[in-house]
Amino acid sequence: MSGLKLRNVKKSFGSVNVIKGVDLDIEDKQFVVFVGPSGCGKSTLLRMIAGLEQISSGDLFIGDKRMNDVDPANRGIAMVFQSYALYPHMTVRENMGFALKFAGASKEEIAQRVGEAARILELGALLDRFPKQLSGGQRQRVAIGRAIVRHPDVFLFDEPLSNLDAELRVHMRIEIARLHKELQTTIIYVTHDQVEAMTLADKIVVLRDGIIEQAGSPLELYDNPDNLFVAGFIGSPKMNLLDGTAEAGGIRLADFPGQLLPSPVAVPAGTPVTVGIRPEHFDPEGAAALETKVEIIEHLGGETYAYARGEGRTLLTLATDNNRTLKPGDRYQARFHPSALLVFGKDGKRIR
Amino acid sequence: MAQSGLARSERINGWLFVMPALVLLGLFMIYPIVWSLWMSFQVGKGMNLSFGGFANIQRLTKDPVFIRALINTFTFFIVQVPIMITLALLFAVALNDSTLRFRGLFRTAIFLPCVTSLIAYSTIFKSMFAVDGIINQTLMALHLIASPISWLGDPFWAKVTIIIAITWRWTGYNMIFYLAALQNIDRSIYEAARIDGVPAWARFRYLTIPMLKPVILFTTVVSTIGTLQLFDEVFNLTGGTGGPSDSTVTLSLYIYNLTFKFMPSFGYSATVSWVIVLVVAILSFLQFLVARDRKVKSS
Repeated sequence: MSGLKLRNVKKSFGSVNVIKGVDLDIEDKQFVVFVGPSGCGKSTLLRMIAGLEQISSGDLFIGDKRMNDVDPANRGIAMVFQSYALYPHMTVRENMGFALKFAGASKEEIAQRVGEAARILELGALLDRFPKQLSGGQRQRVAIGRAIVRHPDVFLFDEPLSNLDAELRVHMRIEIARLHKELQTTIIYVTHDQVEAMTLADKIVVLRDGIIEQAGSPLELYDNPDNLFVAGFIGSPKMNLLDGTAEAGGIRLADFPGQLLPSPVAVPAGTPVTVGIRPEHFDPEGAAALETKVEIIEHLGGETYAYARGEGRTLLTLATDNNRTLKPGDRYQARFHPSALLVFGKDGKRIR
Repeated sequence: MAQSGLARSERINGWLFVMPALVLLGLFMIYPIVWSLWMSFQVGKGMNLSFGGFANIQRLTKDPVFIRALINTFTFFIVQVPIMITLALLFAVALNDSTLRFRGLFRTAIFLPCVTSLIAYSTIFKSMFAVDGIINQTLMALHLIASPISWLGDPFWAKVTIIIAITWRWTGYNMIFYLAALQNIDRSIYEAARIDGVPAWARFRYLTIPMLKPVILFTTVVSTIGTLQLFDEVFNLTGGTGGPSDSTVTLSLYIYNLTFKFMPSFGYSATVSWVIVLVVAILSFLQFLVARDRKVKSS
């Protein structure tokens, strides 16, 4: 069991810098999710931890040991791949036991470990099948089983659910959460899906262009984003972001020039700002309001989202407290508590 | 029920489309095959043929040159095909490594022999393997041999020379098939094995080879057929004799000699041709049998 430390870790392919200096502490038994848009370097960072990519500079510690130049096999890790990477000519049992043969495990020990993994993942009935006879979810479980039998200190998951359909993805997400509870090991998990990140993680690391934008617990990132990127990336539906200017006594939004909104933070007058408010933070009891015109209504049953506009071009997403009588074309007063507003400077940084 | 006019016209059109191909196939493939089968039961010299029943088959069993040719052909097959397949596989794996420099150059160099002219290369091989040729000179300069080897004059070394020649020519051809197959294997399979601590030799033995099995089977069958029909290299390197003293004569060369060099006995040479067909069929069947997929257990 062990944590990880990354110190100013960098990676470049030729003259292209992919990871531009990452500092990160991962505690023992923590479930950490790397999340970010495609091309942000999250998979590369994971592969560097695995040892599949060389670290150009900086230090990687797993436990207390510097692992930069240690062979992948000796880092105490196991990895689950997006494509599952099962050996197509071997049965489920052979797939899971294959690597153990080369670690010097006895036949009995292999059988015992495979049996244990099969029990945890409910693969008992499938042990003599070949990968091509399994469904996507079953293959994913075999890939996880192959990782479990090695009793690693750290599990690495590289977008493990991307190839599954939506329903199965939710199911496997719960399975993985359960697995983390049962195995009590460190897990590093890469995904581009912020819902997966929110639901699974103890700690989310948001990456963009090879740097960490923010790292913290899911709710910390949701409630208290450091910058515009994290604010826009975490949360579904996305946060509404509106441009405006600070004035004495409040903020005036470009799309709602007739109103002066009370600002939750002190901003010098004349400063251009971006104001963020989450769709679900609109509240009929709120003290402040925006006058909007509804354009589109989405009924989800439990909630009704309205897409509405002020005088500008920005389409706001509003949770309406399940107001089922709203129709497109209606005027709608989007009320909210001024404290729910997040204010960002022109550089994208949060003004607190 | 009577066929509708549309179905009828489609049927006629269909036959019209395939007819030219069928006629050509019948004329140039099926007719000669059937005719050669008929011929193989004919005895006599030149045009003076008569039906001889199983006389030709009896003659096979008592013909020392045929038996020699059969043994030679099998020797070439048993020694050369495994060497070539193994070499091709090793080259392919080595040249598939993305960190290797000048990959394209190496791939081209190894593939080129099979597109070079047969006559040109066998002429060069003949001069290289001459008693005072560059091979002997090099080996002697390296003190690997004390006196020159009579490559094409000694029954054993003549076989070795021919094996070297065909291996040189066809290894690259087989390698290309393996390279193509290797590039279809998901890279993360190897990465998973690496992380799990599977050593490199085991990744080759237990992952690469099983995953390439269909291609290995294909190249083995094609190479088997090629080797059993071996003619060109032997003809060119030994001046058409299969010498010294029939030590390199192959079935195909013997057929050629029976038909065109000795007093022509078309019937008998057709019989020898059918021996090749039979041997190829049996060997291919055996190879498929060995390589067939493991039965999927129903649990």
